[in-house]
Amino acid sequence: MKNKFTPKITLFYCINSFNESDSFPIIKDKNCNIHTVKMACSSMVKDVFLLRAFESGADAVIVFVCPEGQCRYVEGNIRAKKRVAWVKKLLDEIGLDGKRLSIFNLSRGDEKNISKAIDTILTDLTDLGPNPAS
Amino acid sequence: MIVGEQKPIAEIIKSIQPYRKILILGCGTCVKTCFAGGEDEVAVLASALRLSFKKDHQEIEIDELTVERQCENEFIQEAAESIGNNDAVLSLACGAGVQAIAKRFATSPVLPGINTSFIGIQENPGLFTEECSGCGNCELATFGGICPITRCSKKLLNGPCGGSRNGKCEVAPDTDCAWQLIIDRLKILGQLDNIRSYIPPKDWRPSTSGGPRKLVREDHII
Repeated sequence: MKNKFTPKITLFYCINSFNESDSFPIIKDKNCNIHTVKMACSSMVKDVFLLRAFESGADAVIVFVCPEGQCRYVEGNIRAKKRVAWVKKLLDEIGLDGKRLSIFNLSRGDEKNISKAIDTILTDLTDLGPNPAS
Repeated sequence: MIVGEQKPIAEIIKSIQPYRKILILGCGTCVKTCFAGGEDEVAVLASALRLSFKKDHQEIEIDELTVERQCENEFIQEAAESIGNNDAVLSLACGAGVQAIAKRFATSPVLPGINTSFIGIQENPGLFTEECSGCGNCELATFGGICPITRCSKKLLNGPCGGSRNGKCEVAPDTDCAWQLIIDRLKILGQLDNIRSYIPPKDWRPSTSGGPRKLVREDHII
């Protein structure tokens, strides 16, 4: 049964969009195992890191970036958005489904939307099932 | 530089299907600059292929290596051991690099992972444009440094054709009219007289029309 598993999620986040010590309790209570990767800026999220997260067994990979226009390095979140789009296309091409990779623009402390983002992924994963390449 | 783009992954997967141990060999010069075949692209492709094969419950071992240039023997030599350890090489070099590897390692299958596109430049980050056709007889001095053979859609040597509009080509409206650029540049250089005289039909023999080309430098041959 696809929906009877505890999903493994890798979360890449920029420190301007998510504060692990304040907001982690929100995601800790979700029905999933979340591995976090902290970044000074979301522009550090290279395509190979996203793919290797899937190779390491993640069922879904999420990238939290700050809202557009608010990147302290000017265009980091736009670069991240483009890389995520590129990797989503690649995942579709290899049959892993690009829906397993998502990006969300969030403000630090926006706990309601952080929770909503995780719920969205968990809903998607009930259809997608576990990572077939893990 | 040589500009190329990676082949569709489905085509790559099909080409490596017969093999169980693959070396993805990158090239650290031209195709690295155009984001098609450097270390980063080798790593991404290797990861994507591992995922794809694992998803289909197929076994594959993938080695990754990038040499400075696949078109030169002294750099190719660095890959000899890895090539020997694998069933086939998936080369992310241009067509010259692929053939250089094939020539050097006669018993190893070499598969192209890139479609070689053209000789060009990086005009803006992420935008590569064709600038040279390698015609074998450069006449850029006459045309103010802008090549009508490559950049005019009709390859006119005695242009303009009269079809350009607002400086754009009638064949490809998102492309600058090469002859507009040539005339503007020659005006700036004070060399407009360059194009007042008739330019005779081009001799295509030094281009690919004359068969595979060869360049010999006797002073470097011992």
